[in-house]
Amino acid sequence: MKILIVEDEKELRENIITYLNSDNNVCEGASTLATAITKLEYYNYDCVLLDLGLPDGEGFAILEFLKEEMRGELVLIISAKNSVEDKIKGLNIGADDYLIKPFHLAELKARLEAIFRRKAANSNNKLVFHEITINLLGRTVDVNNTVVPLTRKEYDLLLYFIANKGRVISKNAIAEHLWGDEMDMTDNFHFLYTHIKNLRKKLQDASCKDYLISIYGIGYKFLPE
Amino acid sequence: MKLSAHYNRSNILITLSVLIVGAVIYFFAISYIIQKQLDRDLTEEMTEVVNYTNLHNSRPVLLDIDEEDIVFTETDQQHFKTIFYDAPFKHQIKNDGDDNNGRAVKTLISVNGKNYFLSITISRDSTEYLVQVIATITLALMAGLFLILFLTNRYVSNDLWKPFFDLLRQLKTFSISEHTRFTLTSHKIDEFNELENVVQQMSSRAKKDYRTLKQFTENASHEMMTPIAVITSKLDILIQDNSLSTAHYQQLQDIYSATSKLSRVNRSLLQLVKIENDLSDETEQLDLDQLIIEKADQFTELIDAKHIELSMDLNPRIIFASRALIDMLLNNLFSNAIRHNIDHGLLRVTLTEEEMIIQNSGILNQLNEDTLFERFQKSEKSEGTGLGLAIVKSICNVYGWNISYSYKEGQHFFKIIF
Repeated sequence: MKILIVEDEKELRENIITYLNSDNNVCEGASTLATAITKLEYYNYDCVLLDLGLPDGEGFAILEFLKEEMRGELVLIISAKNSVEDKIKGLNIGADDYLIKPFHLAELKARLEAIFRRKAANSNNKLVFHEITINLLGRTVDVNNTVVPLTRKEYDLLLYFIANKGRVISKNAIAEHLWGDEMDMTDNFHFLYTHIKNLRKKLQDASCKDYLISIYGIGYKFLPE
Repeated sequence: MKLSAHYNRSNILITLSVLIVGAVIYFFAISYIIQKQLDRDLTEEMTEVVNYTNLHNSRPVLLDIDEEDIVFTETDQQHFKTIFYDAPFKHQIKNDGDDNNGRAVKTLISVNGKNYFLSITISRDSTEYLVQVIATITLALMAGLFLILFLTNRYVSNDLWKPFFDLLRQLKTFSISEHTRFTLTSHKIDEFNELENVVQQMSSRAKKDYRTLKQFTENASHEMMTPIAVITSKLDILIQDNSLSTAHYQQLQDIYSATSKLSRVNRSLLQLVKIENDLSDETEQLDLDQLIIEKADQFTELIDAKHIELSMDLNPRIIFASRALIDMLLNNLFSNAIRHNIDHGLLRVTLTEEEMIIQNSGILNQLNEDTLFERFQKSEKSEGTGLGLAIVKSICNVYGWNISYSYKEGQHFFKIIF
C-alpha cells in the first residue's frame, strides 16, 4: 500500500511512518496542506491519513480536492477534535473513517486495513493468513477448511492481530480496540485474558499453529510466520 | 414582607397619625374660637344689662324672648371678678326637661345700692351643631384621603415596581451557560434603568468570563491530545524493541496506563464542556429501553468477567434527547456499576415511565451524596477519572431530570426521575 501521511506534528508523523513502513507499505509524509496537495497532484496513493488541524488550513480542503479530481484514494481522518459535526462533515465529503487522537498505532493499522478491505471487498472478500481463511462478508473463520465458531469479540480480535502481525501490541491498545476507551476499564485486564485465551484455544482446537505469543508485562504479539 | 407593603404601611401610619393629630388640633382650635365668640356675646349682653341698670337704676325686666337666661341674686359681697364658665342651659319657653349645654357669665352688679350677682347663660346649641358639621366634613375628608392614599399606594406602587419584578424574574431563570439575554425595557424610573443596565453588564461579563474559561478548558484539552498521541505512538514503537526486559515492559505498561488515563480525563473534560453547549439541535426521539438493552449488551463481557448477575425490568419509555449524550450517560452509569461491583455481585436496571434506577452491589460503603456528583470526587481506590458522575449529572441537568443516590444494605442506588 502506498500511504500519504498528512500530519503537522513531526514526531507523530514519523512514528506513524515507522509503524506502517513494512508489509510492503510505502509511506510518505506531508506537514502542510500545500505540500499534501502538491504531492497528490503528482502521485497516486492508496490511502491518505489526514489530520484536520493543519498550520495552513483545515484538512477538509484535501478531501474536497480529491472529490473534485474524482480520485480513488482512501482517506482516514486523524483528528484531535472529538466532534460529531467534523466527523459527519468529513464522512460526507468522502472520508472513509475518522480516528480521534490519541490513538494506538495498532488501532490505526487495523482501521487502515479495514477500510482497504472494504474497498477491495467487491473483488476479494476473503482474507487468507496461512491456514486461516477469513470470510469478511459472512464474518466467519475457517482453519484448514474447518469452520471455527468465534464470538463477535474473538473475530474482531483475530482481525486486529492479523492486521498488526509481527508487532507487539499492548493490552491497553487491545482493550481500547474491543471496548473503546470510554469504557474506562483498563484497571482490570482480566476480561481481556479470557477472550484471548478462548480465541487461542479455539484456533488450536482446529489444529491451527499457535501464532500468538504473550509478552509478559505488556501485551501480545501475533507472529507473521 | 414586600418593600411596597412596608412602604405602604409606614406611609399609611404616618398619614393616619398626622390626620388624627391634625383633627384634634383642628377640633380644639374651633372649640376655642367658638368659646371666644360665645364669651364675646356674653360680654355684650352683660354690658347691655349693666348699661340698662345704670340708666334706669333698676333691674331690667326679664324677657324670655331672647335665647338667654338672666338671673339676679342678692349678695353681700363687695368685690367679685367677672368669670366665664360652662353651665347647663334651661330653655325658658320650650322647657323639655333637657338641660342643654350652655355658657355663662357671672359678675357683681349694684342696683340701688344693693349688690347682686348677675349671671347670664346662653345656649351653645347652634355652635355645637356647627362643630358637628365641621367634624363630620373633616372626618369624611380624612376617610376619603386615607382611602385614596391606600389605593394609590397599592396600585401605583405595584405598577412602579413592575420593572423590578420583571428583572427579578429574569434573574431567577438566569443561567451562566445559557445564551439567553436580559430583555431591557425602558422605564420612567432612573433607578430601575440603572439597575437593569448594571445587571445586564454584569451578566454579560459573567457569561464572557465563563465562555473564556470554557474555551480555555476546551483549548487546553485539545492541545494536550496531540502530545498524548505522540507519547502513545512512541510507546507503540518502543515496545517493538526486542532488547527490552520484562522489567522495562512493566514500566512501559505503567506509562501506557497513565497516558490512557490522562487521555480519558481530557476527553471527559471536553465532554463536560460539550454537554453545556447548546445541543438542542441534536435532539431526537429515542427508545430508552432499547438503548439500555444495547448498552448492557456492549458490557456483556465485562459483566461476565466479574460474574455479575444482571437483571433488567424495563418498561417502554420514549425520551427526546441527543443520542450521543444518552450514550454517554448510560456508559458512565454502567461502567460505574460494574467497576465498583464485587465478584458475583448484582446489577439491576429498572425503567418505568417516571424513573430509571440502577442498583448495584459494591465494595464501598455508603458514598457521600453531597459531593458524589462533583468533579474529581472519587474514592481512593477508584481508577476512574472522577468525572463520570459529573458528566451524568450535567446530562441530567440538560434535560431537567433529577438524579439522586441512596444506599441500602450493601446496595447502591442511582435514581433518575424524568
